[in-house]
Amino acid sequence: MSEKPVTRPLLSLDTWAVLLSLALALFVRFGVIKSVSW
Amino acid sequence: MSVQSALPDLRESYPPHAPHAVPEQKTSLLGLVPGILLLFVVGYAGKFVEHAINTYTKAHHITFPNIEYVLWAIVFGIVIANTVGLPKVFRPGVATYEFWLKAGIILLGARFLLGDILKLGGISLALVAVAFALSLAFMTWLGRAFGLGAKLTTLLAVGSSVCGVSAIIATQGAIDADERDTSTAIAAILALGALSLFTFPLIGHSLHLSDHAYGIWAGLAVDNTAEATAAGALYSSEAGKYAVLAKTCRNALIGFVVLAYAIAWARKGLASAATEKQLQNKASFLWSKFPKFVLGFLLISLLATLGTLDPKLYPHLANYAFLGFSKPQLAALGNLSRWAFLLTFAGVGLRTNLRDLFKQGARPFLVGALGEVAIAAITLALVAGADRVFHL
Repeated sequence: MSEKPVTRPLLSLDTWAVLLSLALALFVRFGVIKSVSW
Repeated sequence: MSVQSALPDLRESYPPHAPHAVPEQKTSLLGLVPGILLLFVVGYAGKFVEHAINTYTKAHHITFPNIEYVLWAIVFGIVIANTVGLPKVFRPGVATYEFWLKAGIILLGARFLLGDILKLGGISLALVAVAFALSLAFMTWLGRAFGLGAKLTTLLAVGSSVCGVSAIIATQGAIDADERDTSTAIAAILALGALSLFTFPLIGHSLHLSDHAYGIWAGLAVDNTAEATAAGALYSSEAGKYAVLAKTCRNALIGFVVLAYAIAWARKGLASAATEKQLQNKASFLWSKFPKFVLGFLLISLLATLGTLDPKLYPHLANYAFLGFSKPQLAALGNLSRWAFLLTFAGVGLRTNLRDLFKQGARPFLVGALGEVAIAAITLALVAGADRVFHL
């Protein structure tokens, strides 16, 4: 019987959240996102 | 054994369950879109209603308390989830609310100067340590008094004194608790978290707590990060900010608590073989349990602080000032954080299942509820004391 492959997340949810936030922060810092209204 | 890489399973928290009960099938990125759109629609509906009520009452000179969009978003979510129910197509995307919560917290770092974090974070950490010791002892005694099993008692104690579901899941692995105990503890903590959303702001207003004191109290006493953030934001935007700060301090301690429990259970010979092996390298064990978003929050706050430093006062840091954000940029980041929280609050409502409140056993719920009331009272007394001494 072939062994079932174990699927592990490439990165944790926390790490994805950090990466997205840092990307957004860079976009803001370098003027790609100029302002965000609320 | 071959290992494949994949995106993290975002459905892990919808519906909340023990880690081993994760459904088999995986979600594609495209599969997340309907649920994320639903989060946005529900959250935006909350914002729209808040704005509409404010405009109407102002135009007609009616005195009406401002009800934050947070409450509307949560109520709309609860109504949808408990009447028509949440169709399967939306569930993977709705489960991303945990992801938006963490992104929102990291971006909220832009609204804190590092000095504030060190001061309030230090006070919060000291309060967390005292509250933690008292609540852990009380919950353990309560669990024994009500005849709950040692593992269920431990899970309830950790869930209510550290940080809710993530602490329970982390401890479950360390003490090798079974899924039934884990699911019961998670259900009890989530049910109590939902109740705290409606009780905490009422208590805060009746005691006339300041935004800072209330925020720190909510962050210290409400278990789940999403509910603590919402309970704070329901009071005021400023209170929400401080609730996140206090809750983040609690979250940062999760690794140490799980490590202590793992060592205690291993000494009794009750830990799993996998935990025994992990304990050989304690630093790596701590790192694996440490919530990484805390580091992101600190980094954004550091960059926010660098941009506001006066080069005359801090000449040695002047060379790094270019890394920092300007005031309009900080405002943009703060608003991005608000949008991320809008999705989170919609998710909190959509994942609250009122039937689960009554489905679980009465004893674990009673132990959890009594413990929560005691912890809320202890932390309230601590925050009131700290407010007098440090003027929070």
